[in-house]
Amino acid sequence: MTECRAAPSDGGALRFTVLPPKELKELGDKLGWSLNSAELEAIRSYFKKVGREPTRGEVETIAQTWSEHCKHKTFNGPIRYSDGKKTQLIRSLFAETIVKATQGLSKPWCLSVFKDNAGIVSFGKGGRWALAVKVETHNHPCAVEPYGGAETGIGGVIRDVLGAGLGAKPVLNTDTFCLARPDYAGALPEGALHPVRTLRGVVAGVRDYGNRMGIPTAGGGLWFDDDYRLNPLVFCGTVGVLPTWAVRKEVKPGDLIVAVGGPTGRDGLHGATFSSATLEGESDRTAVQIGHPLNEKRVLDAMMIARDRKLYRAVTDCGAGGFSSAIGELAKDCGARVELSGAPVKCSDLEPWEIWLSEAQERMVLAVPRKSYAELEKLFHAEGTGCSILGEFTDSGRLVVTLKGAPVADLDMGFLHDGMPKVERRAVWTNGSKPKPRPCGRKSGAADRGRLGSILIRMLGHLNVCSREWVIRQYDYEVQAGTVIKPLQGLRHDGPGDACVIWPAAATGEWEDLSGFSVGHGLNPSYGRLDPYWMAMCCADEALRNLLCVGADISKAVFLDNFCWASPEVPEQLGGLVRAALGCHDAAKGYSVPFISGKDSLYNQSRDEKGRDLAIPGTVLITAMAPVQDITRSVTMDFKGPGNSLFLVGVTKDETGGSLLSQMESCGGEVPKPDPKAAIKAFKAVAGAISKKLVLSAHDLSEGGLGVAVAEMAFSGESGATIELDQVLTSPAMLPDETTLFSESPSRVLLEVSPKDDVALMRALKGVPARRIGSTTANPLIKVSGFDGSIVLETLLVDLKTAWQKTLPELLK
Amino acid sequence: MSLIATGTTYLVEVRLRPEFTDAAGLAALAQLQHAGFAGVRAVRISTLYEICGPLNQSHVQQASKELLNDGVTQEFKVLSGPPVLDGMNHWRVEVWLKNTMTDPVGESVRRAIAELGLPEPERVRCGSAYRILGRTTKNILERIVLRTLANPVVHSFTVTEAYD
Amino acid sequence: MMVSKPALRGKRPKVLVLRAPGTNCDMETALAFKRVGGEPELVSIADFKAAKVRLMEFSVVAIPGGFSYGDDVGAGKILANQVKLYMKEIRNFVRLGRPVIGICNGFQALVKAGLLPFSAAGEQTASFTANDSGRFESRWVHLRLNTQSMCLWTQGLPEMIELPVAHGEGKLVLKSPRHLEELKKNKSIALQYVSDDGKLLGYPHNPNGSVFNIAGLTNPEGNCLGLMPHPERFTVRHHHPNWTRQTFMKEGVGLEMFRNAVKYCQS
Repeated sequence: MTECRAAPSDGGALRFTVLPPKELKELGDKLGWSLNSAELEAIRSYFKKVGREPTRGEVETIAQTWSEHCKHKTFNGPIRYSDGKKTQLIRSLFAETIVKATQGLSKPWCLSVFKDNAGIVSFGKGGRWALAVKVETHNHPCAVEPYGGAETGIGGVIRDVLGAGLGAKPVLNTDTFCLARPDYAGALPEGALHPVRTLRGVVAGVRDYGNRMGIPTAGGGLWFDDDYRLNPLVFCGTVGVLPTWAVRKEVKPGDLIVAVGGPTGRDGLHGATFSSATLEGESDRTAVQIGHPLNEKRVLDAMMIARDRKLYRAVTDCGAGGFSSAIGELAKDCGARVELSGAPVKCSDLEPWEIWLSEAQERMVLAVPRKSYAELEKLFHAEGTGCSILGEFTDSGRLVVTLKGAPVADLDMGFLHDGMPKVERRAVWTNGSKPKPRPCGRKSGAADRGRLGSILIRMLGHLNVCSREWVIRQYDYEVQAGTVIKPLQGLRHDGPGDACVIWPAAATGEWEDLSGFSVGHGLNPSYGRLDPYWMAMCCADEALRNLLCVGADISKAVFLDNFCWASPEVPEQLGGLVRAALGCHDAAKGYSVPFISGKDSLYNQSRDEKGRDLAIPGTVLITAMAPVQDITRSVTMDFKGPGNSLFLVGVTKDETGGSLLSQMESCGGEVPKPDPKAAIKAFKAVAGAISKKLVLSAHDLSEGGLGVAVAEMAFSGESGATIELDQVLTSPAMLPDETTLFSESPSRVLLEVSPKDDVALMRALKGVPARRIGSTTANPLIKVSGFDGSIVLETLLVDLKTAWQKTLPELLK
Repeated sequence: MSLIATGTTYLVEVRLRPEFTDAAGLAALAQLQHAGFAGVRAVRISTLYEICGPLNQSHVQQASKELLNDGVTQEFKVLSGPPVLDGMNHWRVEVWLKNTMTDPVGESVRRAIAELGLPEPERVRCGSAYRILGRTTKNILERIVLRTLANPVVHSFTVTEAYD
Repeated sequence: MMVSKPALRGKRPKVLVLRAPGTNCDMETALAFKRVGGEPELVSIADFKAAKVRLMEFSVVAIPGGFSYGDDVGAGKILANQVKLYMKEIRNFVRLGRPVIGICNGFQALVKAGLLPFSAAGEQTASFTANDSGRFESRWVHLRLNTQSMCLWTQGLPEMIELPVAHGEGKLVLKSPRHLEELKKNKSIALQYVSDDGKLLGYPHNPNGSVFNIAGLTNPEGNCLGLMPHPERFTVRHHHPNWTRQTFMKEGVGLEMFRNAVKYCQS
């Protein structure tokens, strides 16, 4: 064992209660606590009442428990919100939007929402199985060390699912990255990494960790916007399967507190407070680690055996805050006595509080009945991983931590979890102050013929549309042999699928049950620049359509929310965040889809090279998951052959605000506004048609609208298409061809149907806005006739596909 | 930084034999070019193992032969002393994880050496040596390495002009 | 040489699916054997170390894919050392003609343990390096089977099949050019990467740059097969990336390989 570095001098009792407020704040900042003055005051008065000085371990424990990362002060605290018309007090944004919607919907298949480390829903035939799902961000670590940050990000979300209920076996990973363009050529401040390096690093991190864990990474996305250059966003998601009996966990006083997994080192101290502070030039860099997937795999394998032998009663992962938050969380309703000398450590000179708070990865904490410990220990040691006793759960209502008997912390659970003073924040939403650009939608006519074709080609090559094959192929998206609908689809296995479908038969062993599930995503910060409310709505709509287009049962869908925002202390930023949360609430109610889990990451802003604050665009990732009742009825997005009818479901409006067209042609318009009630009615009708096997292929219309969707379906299936824009249902009745082709009106899907089923399809879509707008052809080109009947676009599939495929490889070669 | 180690420290370098394509080296070459190192002509990568513990020279030879080295594709040497200087446009960039970082590969190797029946090392660290051919200066190369091969947040690295 | 049948026959032959830290494809491999009438058992290499299992009680051995020991040092290398140390009997197991399969990481381990392609000599004559692309890659490939091969695992399969590969270190290389001649002579090249019309072409048809497009090797006797592609990932027709375009497929061709081994033990 080696000594890692010189021991810090101030590990013991602090001179805390006697310091004047200003000096106390200075001390806190020096030690990296991220506690504000009101919180320091609350701690001071607690210890005055107790009648002694706190130890460093105690203040560290409180600081991390009360951090934005763990307590979500902004989402749970009061906000005075003004939208220009009226001002209202929101007591808790989380309770009044996300939770309220879910409670109102009260879906019986939601087994655990917002309580555990992940949301849990029932799965499969016969009610024997459940799915746990979680999506996390790991933004700040990825900004300074993309590879290690992404590794520990995916490792952390896997442990969340492993710590849900009594532990779920992970069967799917997802990854979504928001980065600056890889060809960004502008200035960067000292120490900031170039986006191309960040992209390579995060892809490699997810690849090396996910592949080594044997979990298919088969869903996600990429979004490029230069305002992410100092604060890239890295979302990692995991879905796991667990038996229904293992959904419930309980801790009994007298149970042993057992740590399993890797040893504890000085790695990642202050991860929780780090991720809650704005990222400045001098960040606390011990917070970044690299992952050890082999250790996590050992823990996973041992835990699944131990779970099925019922050797433990509760489990949670060591994430931010390490043992302190894991044990603090498990012991919340009872109490715990912890003796840290039981913890295996990497280096001998760790301060007690450092052991207690270290964020060394790949560790879990279990509540183990005494009689089961010997068997449990044998099992973990046989897998080659650690297992040791840290103490026991008590009924004292106190958290007592010692090292070789010497006190490290002795805190009241009530104070620790509920003693945090609430800060009222101010939020302002103002709309309409931005300058309006020229409206999109140029005059139609034969002159468009070359122009629309060139716009389409440029759209397909755009970073936010282009092929992600360079990324996807680096992931083992088929391990566990359950990826029955793959992320890459089509004749040559390279088209952009809407979503994957997972059939977790290897995990359940029930290969005669054809139940599967699908996960889709919606993300579009461009809409958010115009209005975060409609961004959230559009993201929910898109995530659902992704599921719809592979044949999932969207009537049993669930949502997960991930908000990434700049500083909530800036009222205008918080105003946008409130708008987005309100959008989530209305989407959940409107689509009748509950949120079951979520996370927020705030303070995503940094000083740029000139010292100005650069905030990320407010970003919501909506992840949707739904069961696929029969995987053999799934559909893909590639055209299946010539001579088939193409039906467009949904109404096309003049909605080009934030659209790809608006970015490429420097124009603007209204932000797309879904109507959830009408949308869900149409979605259900489409789902019915798919389950009747009437649909050969289905694809959702998103960035680039109808034009991009047709092109993707065509080149993936290697069939051409003719489209008649005058057949498209529009509102108003007459739109410029450019608008009809590239508007991003939500809730639309394009279906390919055998002509013999045209009538049956229209019957299935009765009462839903849908029209036959063209057909597939043997000719390898896309031909579009405009409103006046003239040909406005005629482009070879090979040109479209080449444009779509070459962008990332050229930037990353 | 104080490292208490009771045993001897050995440095083993394992490299792909010259007749085999070094795909990772080619990828590094492209990255260096992309980062502005126009004169770079070739990159080959070796793996470095720093083994510290109660092992003698023949133990390390055996561990290298049976574990660290692939008899078909690779060759190894147990290094003693610094590399030969005066490189004539040959550069050696060594990148290691900082000592405070967990080193998963080092940990696996440490256990695997013990499995061979050899004394268990106290510590094994794993690093990379990039053997680079190209006209540049040490200062410029250091700057380029910081943009490509090493991140000072987690790595330590050295650049030497060295022919081997 | 005559191949002797496994000593233990039965309705459900016992299949040892070997696990080590970092093994990933054990459950789906076991499931594939189970579906064709085998009785799979997941056995950890640590159980051999602790002398808790007897290899000869099994009829089939499968070493599944994954990243055993993180693939630290080199893909399959530490596992190969462990097999040499704690599963010495495997050489005898192979010599007795009992079916052995190594898939992906398992193939790498078999080669590095000297069990393939020439198990008799026991020394390593082939190895793997990083894919020519420099990246881990997942993709479906077309494969041509050697119809002349003695390989019991591929008997009766169509000459052209499709399977997925997913690896970063899959480029097979040989110690000496004369080994290639020997492999050809022994009909040891069980599978080759080809284009959809059966030609030996380069990337991406040959996904890693393997010598002579070799995707799988068998011992001359045909009972021990190692391959980089994953047959356990094509055991139902819905595993195929184009199943939504086709209706003629009955089941995944990979399942046939597992069935061959189980049937071989039952006969």
